[in-house]
Amino acid sequence: MRDGSKPLLSLKNVKKTFTTGGTELKALGDVTFDVCPKEFVSIVGPSGCGKTTLLKIIAGLLPKSSGEIIVDKKDFDITREVGFVFQKPLLLHWRKVIDNVLLPIEILKKDRKAMEERAQYLLALVGLEGFEDRYPGELSGGMQQRVSIARALVHDPKLLLMDEPFGALDAITRERLNIELLRIWQETGKTILFVTHGINEAVFLSDRVIVLSARPSRMIESLDIKLPRPRQQEVRVQPEFGAYALEIYKSLEIG
Amino acid sequence: MKNLPTLKLSSLWARLKTPLVVFVLLVIWELCVRAFKIKEYILPSPIVALQHLFLPQPDANYSWIVHIRITLNELVISFLVTSVLGILIAIGLAWNSTIKKIIMPAFVFLNSLPIVAIAPLLVLWFGYGLKTNILIAFLVSFFPVVINTTVGLFEIEDDLLDLVKYLHGTKLQIFLKLRLPNSLPYIFTGLKISSTMCVVGVIVGEFVASDKGLGYIIINSQYTMDSPPIFAGLMLVSLFGVALFGIVSALERLCMPWQFRGRNEN
Ligand SMILES: Nc1ncnc2c1ncn2[C@@H]1O[C@H](COP(=O)(O)OP(=O)(O)OP(=O)(O)O)[C@@H](O)[C@H]1O
Ligand SMILES: [Mg+2]
Repeated sequence: MRDGSKPLLSLKNVKKTFTTGGTELKALGDVTFDVCPKEFVSIVGPSGCGKTTLLKIIAGLLPKSSGEIIVDKKDFDITREVGFVFQKPLLLHWRKVIDNVLLPIEILKKDRKAMEERAQYLLALVGLEGFEDRYPGELSGGMQQRVSIARALVHDPKLLLMDEPFGALDAITRERLNIELLRIWQETGKTILFVTHGINEAVFLSDRVIVLSARPSRMIESLDIKLPRPRQQEVRVQPEFGAYALEIYKSLEIG
Repeated sequence: MKNLPTLKLSSLWARLKTPLVVFVLLVIWELCVRAFKIKEYILPSPIVALQHLFLPQPDANYSWIVHIRITLNELVISFLVTSVLGILIAIGLAWNSTIKKIIMPAFVFLNSLPIVAIAPLLVLWFGYGLKTNILIAFLVSFFPVVINTTVGLFEIEDDLLDLVKYLHGTKLQIFLKLRLPNSLPYIFTGLKISSTMCVVGVIVGEFVASDKGLGYIIINSQYTMDSPPIFAGLMLVSLFGVALFGIVSALERLCMPWQFRGRNEN
């Protein structure tokens, strides 16, 4: 997917140090990488290495300690054109499913009425047709997470930040949703930055996998995954698939 | 098909058990008064008290219906004022932490004053009548709504705020879309407590600031040691309290359908 075009998002020497009660905690040591338009990039790394922190910095939810995040403001408004799927579903329990999906529309003050159809469509896309009028409390954890994916897509963001969105799901649902996600990605032409613990998941989904070291994290590997697209489950048994997974596994062990 | 009648019976029981308990207590009361021959001016039997309410009393110089209407009117206005003002005050407190730091101690101080004791002072300042009565009821009952609403507006999962922040939503949006709906359960808890205290406030107000209403009848009958109207008045007052509480609870269900969806009452 990378075609030498200029990146949608560039991180240059991004560092983050948390200071709590006098003690300093270096979360992000030094992170530098680009994400190109329409690229699917995964980030893997040990727990606590700062993956969530990194996504939150990109989304403007946390200030970075130093470094730069560069976007071309003309083609990408990072304040409005980002969709975030958080590690937890974070649904508003007082809103019906459909109203949860429409939350970004309300915040961005877009025309809600015009978007209702789109919200319905997205719910169908994540397999929740007919659940529009339920409350989150009536859904399973996996269903809630799928609502949050529909919500992150509703305002048609250019960049989708996904923080272990399928971490809490069983293997079968997760693999089904992987295929769904690839379909959505291909149909909508979004750029996706995807955080995961699953090495196989990262290889299956991505154009490129970025491996972070333990804290203070730095990039120890950026691996292009040159498996053919569109990918189906069969990809998983190709020898190249295993080779990629092994390489990531090894660099994680060293880092 | 077969368990339909039992189902109906059990829901009937659910609806009737509270009134039934009240009825049984009244019967016990009646029996005790008769069995121990308690004098009427010390403890009238419920039947005697109710007779005062429903049968014309030749020696009574008041009409129940007039005073009931006055008290109900005061109660409704006082509770509306308390609810609206209480919630608005809480929103003000939650909006700005400096305001909160300055005003909260004042409220705590105000609430710890024995309002009953300063009520005569209020009459002195603001005169006799409805306005003073409402003020007294408000002072007696505003605190629970204010405190609960303020807590509710703050008690929100930080991660939820990120939902609005990453799209650069405004403080007003965070308030309207997150904090306010999140605080509804707290608001209603506060309103429920305040509703019962408001009844107390209205009666206290009538004791000191009014020559009308059930509170007036109660205090006036006390001077003449005429106990049955006191008890009749008390029965009515508690009935109003229960009714107001019930209305708030019904409103709660209406405003928070997600809390009650799919749950059976029992
Ligand atoms: N607000 C904060 N204040 C202080 N330290 C924090 C804060 N948020 C995160 N940290 C610390 O920064 C480090 C990175 O946290 P982060 O949540 O980004 O890890 P992660 O890579 O997402 O982990 P996981 O894979 O378990 O989700 C952790 O050690 C954490 O304790
Ligand atoms: Mg994380």
